[in-house]
Amino acid sequence: MSFTEYIKPKYLSDLHRVMAEYEARVTVIAGGTNLIPEMRNGEKSPELLIDISDMAELSFIRENNGSIAIGAATTIAEMAASPVLLDNSPMLASAAKQLGNPLTRNRATVGGNLANASPCADTAPPLLALDASVEILSPGGKTRQVPLSKFFHGYKFTDLVKGEILTGITFPKPHDSTKGSHTKIGLRNAASICVASIAVALDMDGKTCRKARVAAGSVAPIPIRARRVEKLLEGKEINAALLEECMAVVKEEISPISDIRGSLEYRSYVTAMILKRNIKRALKQEI
Amino acid sequence: MKTYPVEIKVNGEWQKAEVTARDTLLDLLRDHFGAFEVKNGCAQGDCGACTVILANKAVNACLTLALQANGKSVTTLKGVGTPDHPHPLQQSFVEHGAIQCGFCTPGMVVSAKALLDNNPAPTRNEIREGISGNLCRCTGYNKIVEAIEDASLSVKNKSRREEDA
Amino acid sequence: MLDKLKEKPTVRPDYRVIGKPVARHDAWGKVFADTKYANDYTLPGTLYAKVLRSQYAAAKVLSIDTREAAKLSGVEAVMTAKDVPHNETVTRFGQTHKVGGFEGLYRVLAEKKIRFRGEAIALVAAKSLAIAEKALGLIKIEYEPLEGVFDPVEAMKPGAYRVGEDESNVICSYKVRKGDIAEGFDLADVIVENTYRVPMVDHAYLEPESGVAWLDDDGVITIRAATQVIEHFRGIADVLGLPHNKVRVIAPMVGGGFGGKEDITVETYLALLVWKTKKPVSLTYTREESIIAHSKRHPYVMKYKTGATKDGKLVAMEAELISDAGGYVFLSPWVLLYSTVKATGPYDITHVKIDTHTVLTNNTFSSANRGFGAPQPCFAYESQLDQIAKHLNMTPLEIRKKNYLHTGDSLATGRVLEHAVETEQTAEKAMEALGEPSKPRSPREKIGQGMASSMMSYGRMTFLHDTSRSYVSLDLDGSVTVKCGVQDIGGGQASSLAQIAAEVLGVPLEDVTVYIGDSALTPLAGTTTATRQLYMSGNATYKAAMAVRDNLLSKAADILDTAPENLDIKDREICIKPDISDDPDRVLALDDVVRACAADGLQLYNVAQFNAPARELIDFTTGQGQVFADFTFGTHAMEVAVDMDTGKVNVLKIVSCFDVGKAINPLSAEGQLEGGALYGLGYGMLEEVILDKGNTLTPSFAEYLIPTSVDAPDVKTIMIESGGGVGPFGAKGLGEPSCVSAAAAFANAVADAIGVRIYDLPVTAEKIIRALGKI
Repeated sequence: MSFTEYIKPKYLSDLHRVMAEYEARVTVIAGGTNLIPEMRNGEKSPELLIDISDMAELSFIRENNGSIAIGAATTIAEMAASPVLLDNSPMLASAAKQLGNPLTRNRATVGGNLANASPCADTAPPLLALDASVEILSPGGKTRQVPLSKFFHGYKFTDLVKGEILTGITFPKPHDSTKGSHTKIGLRNAASICVASIAVALDMDGKTCRKARVAAGSVAPIPIRARRVEKLLEGKEINAALLEECMAVVKEEISPISDIRGSLEYRSYVTAMILKRNIKRALKQEI
Repeated sequence: MKTYPVEIKVNGEWQKAEVTARDTLLDLLRDHFGAFEVKNGCAQGDCGACTVILANKAVNACLTLALQANGKSVTTLKGVGTPDHPHPLQQSFVEHGAIQCGFCTPGMVVSAKALLDNNPAPTRNEIREGISGNLCRCTGYNKIVEAIEDASLSVKNKSRREEDA
Repeated sequence: MLDKLKEKPTVRPDYRVIGKPVARHDAWGKVFADTKYANDYTLPGTLYAKVLRSQYAAAKVLSIDTREAAKLSGVEAVMTAKDVPHNETVTRFGQTHKVGGFEGLYRVLAEKKIRFRGEAIALVAAKSLAIAEKALGLIKIEYEPLEGVFDPVEAMKPGAYRVGEDESNVICSYKVRKGDIAEGFDLADVIVENTYRVPMVDHAYLEPESGVAWLDDDGVITIRAATQVIEHFRGIADVLGLPHNKVRVIAPMVGGGFGGKEDITVETYLALLVWKTKKPVSLTYTREESIIAHSKRHPYVMKYKTGATKDGKLVAMEAELISDAGGYVFLSPWVLLYSTVKATGPYDITHVKIDTHTVLTNNTFSSANRGFGAPQPCFAYESQLDQIAKHLNMTPLEIRKKNYLHTGDSLATGRVLEHAVETEQTAEKAMEALGEPSKPRSPREKIGQGMASSMMSYGRMTFLHDTSRSYVSLDLDGSVTVKCGVQDIGGGQASSLAQIAAEVLGVPLEDVTVYIGDSALTPLAGTTTATRQLYMSGNATYKAAMAVRDNLLSKAADILDTAPENLDIKDREICIKPDISDDPDRVLALDDVVRACAADGLQLYNVAQFNAPARELIDFTTGQGQVFADFTFGTHAMEVAVDMDTGKVNVLKIVSCFDVGKAINPLSAEGQLEGGALYGLGYGMLEEVILDKGNTLTPSFAEYLIPTSVDAPDVKTIMIESGGGVGPFGAKGLGEPSCVSAAAAFANAVADAIGVRIYDLPVTAEKIIRALGKI
């Protein structure tokens, strides 16, 4: 068993210093709800833990200049209860509320949820549908923005290079005409790993869909945007026939697997069903 | 083995220990501080038996590193109430028959306290939501929900009396 | 004919403590964090133990090398099979496998052949858990993986892989024959034939298996473990080659048992390590270890063919039940016998042919789990009934009312049901309480209602000649002590004894102290299994308390110059019954009478033994005879809302109605009904230990899902008190009966909602979508 070291920076300036000194030896811990079980079962054996869980500078949800910004160390519970999110992007708050259970939500963070990059990450589909970008901090103090849709490269493999830390997420403040909806399919009503999920954000011009963003979770190695479905919807009046087409197309865009939680046939089927349902629901609702 | 000093206020009393970076708060509470009321049901945050209140939030002690609780206040079942000064929740759990084997009880009562601290008059649905991270295999949750609802009325009345006083 | 309980309660029916929703005495310790469970106990110098388990489900063990592990600093013992004085014990029962006999091997540590994944191979004790875990990693095992067999139907076939050393993997078989089955099907106007499958499930108690053991001052190996059976001390002593009085087992409050702590879990390992190191040792399973390596509920394959006349009368039932015992025998033959007797359900059926088999495979071994073989056939026979009803245009309640057994009727095994049988009443009340179907909340939702009734025994199989003992005493200051070897697993096993003693001796509940669960110091009360403790130890405690009461009253009668039967004790006073005299001067303080007895050398303590009705073995070729003392009958009714697009099911209503005989503590009785309903609902809706060639794919609570507080509604409980049980005050047992029919009720409700039936549990959203033909 290797011995792990631990540093808890208080301010961003401390974090910069630590990152510069230790570079690729750094493993970030925030809520620890994924990392601690991985350490327990031997999957991960970090040399050095940098604890950002109490960094106030990384824990915020705010609206500024037409965008919403969320600090990476913001807990899922804070997101679920946030007036800013409930006002501007209720489907994101709703998805947060369905992650884990009340206890894990008090520790788990949005940064951890995205950086862990499980295909089942509950905050990813709504954030993808909101055109979110992540902010990444490198050793040396440089930051870069990466669209979330380009952040996930493969199964649990992201744009983060060893030594980098995801520090925040931003997305454009949705218009009043943007309508959103989200559904998570799980095997029970709490603490349920996602079997399939869909998040949609539709910018409507009356009955015509001007812009569509559709994201799916747990049905591919990474959380994805269903680009072909989006193209199908854009510029069109959404009717029953178009919805059927979207259902057929989304099945081609996803690549679910069969595992203990469900077969690929079921995941494929139910993704299409909740796509239809969420588009219909969105059209009666505003984000 | 690299160890670090921690100091944690457990149920109102500051306690110290030396821990490794990997020791969880659950390990610390049980193995170093003798807080046996914090139970280990699964060690990975699935069952809630290790629920404690850490700086005003109910969390799984098994999913928190001991070092992450450094300098903070932790409340276990013992900090919720005592035989001399029982919390209405404790009274209510016993009177409603909400305790069978009792293994989930410490975590359940602590979760319920955190719930009532944040939401003093929860609906039954909110109560069920609030304890959805605490598994119970014996009771079917019925009497636990009734006990929490009943206690919330006591707590409300008590704080109203305190306001009036 | 059955010996009826000779002593009838002579206390008046307006009980003071019995039947009252009193707070359990053990609840206070649990809510104030005083109660110490098995691993909340430490002693100076305690070593920590870990178990090395097989990486294969079927394999030869070619070599075991523990040298490096033993040399690790901080390791104090490494043990394998060769270090165990008697590593194998064989129990034989009956004459041959074909006639209700079986042979069961209990093996402490694997030596040459592995029979299931997770089988224990070596033990380590070290100064810390971390060192013990490291030592495990240093033990080198050379395996030769073998083919294995993972399906009980395959395992029954000639030429199948041999799990053990026997030619056949079939452990034993039973039969029931009543009438002529061919004639029965000739009489039938409708015949329904289906195969049902139920999965392996886990007990999922919140407290994993654990214990601490040490050598006491006299060299007695003392084991304080979460167990339902302290009398394993004999088996443990035999493993070590020690006299039985050199092993002592203490059961603290147990964090849930449900049958999973009925077989030996950590006890033998602890005893071996204490015997070897002479130091205290602590062992707790991880949750993964508990799910992977310890006993489960038997998976069954059940073929049912049921025939009824056009009026709905059941005239024929033919069933074949095959259970998957896993790698070792444990309690499989008894679980199978329970299934065999209960395979018809609480119904009168004219012609019956039941064949049951339990078979070894290389899956995780199965043994006792709440219901002990009753829930599995219940799913089958209750599903069959609903289908017959549908063919005949009858409601589920109508068809059942046509066939329910009543008091005085016989089971297919020929056994007359001489005690209260109120199934029909429970069904009527349950369905009435379920009410009219709710309105669907959207056009995509369908509502369904379903019911299921069951019969489940309480008390052990009568050929085991079960007994229980309890000690009750009144001390010089009038305080009451009960000592009884019951193991309390959360069902109020200890507190009901306090209530009984308090009632009989006329003292407040707070004046009673109960000592339980010590094989050396409390009278042995038998296992906390088979829903037997209230029945057996409750009756024993009643008997002992009555003997003390009789002495008290005979002395008081002398003093008051009256007959003892004219007296009553209440609130620590002995007085003459009001219908005989209400003279306020003829009252004595209990304490004064206690002192008078002491002065005269009249003892105020008693150890009583209660004997269950003893029967000989049944005829195993026909299944005829009596196996159980009595049964508890009840009905579950449920309402569900099914999302027809996703298959997701929300449970809207659950009703549980049982004849409890007499609710000694209504809160405890309701608690059993509520908890039992969810235990069974989990079986119907969510739970499955998924194995792939014997490897567990659901090893933690993240994969193995049990109901949370938001997965079920409030359970509405209705208790009928017929007074017709054989327990104290006419009580029937509830621990297991309360869960048996819940899964079947759930499955029937879903079938009602979607119009299609699913023949295997759990009934999941995906299975619903498949059954609807959507994928």
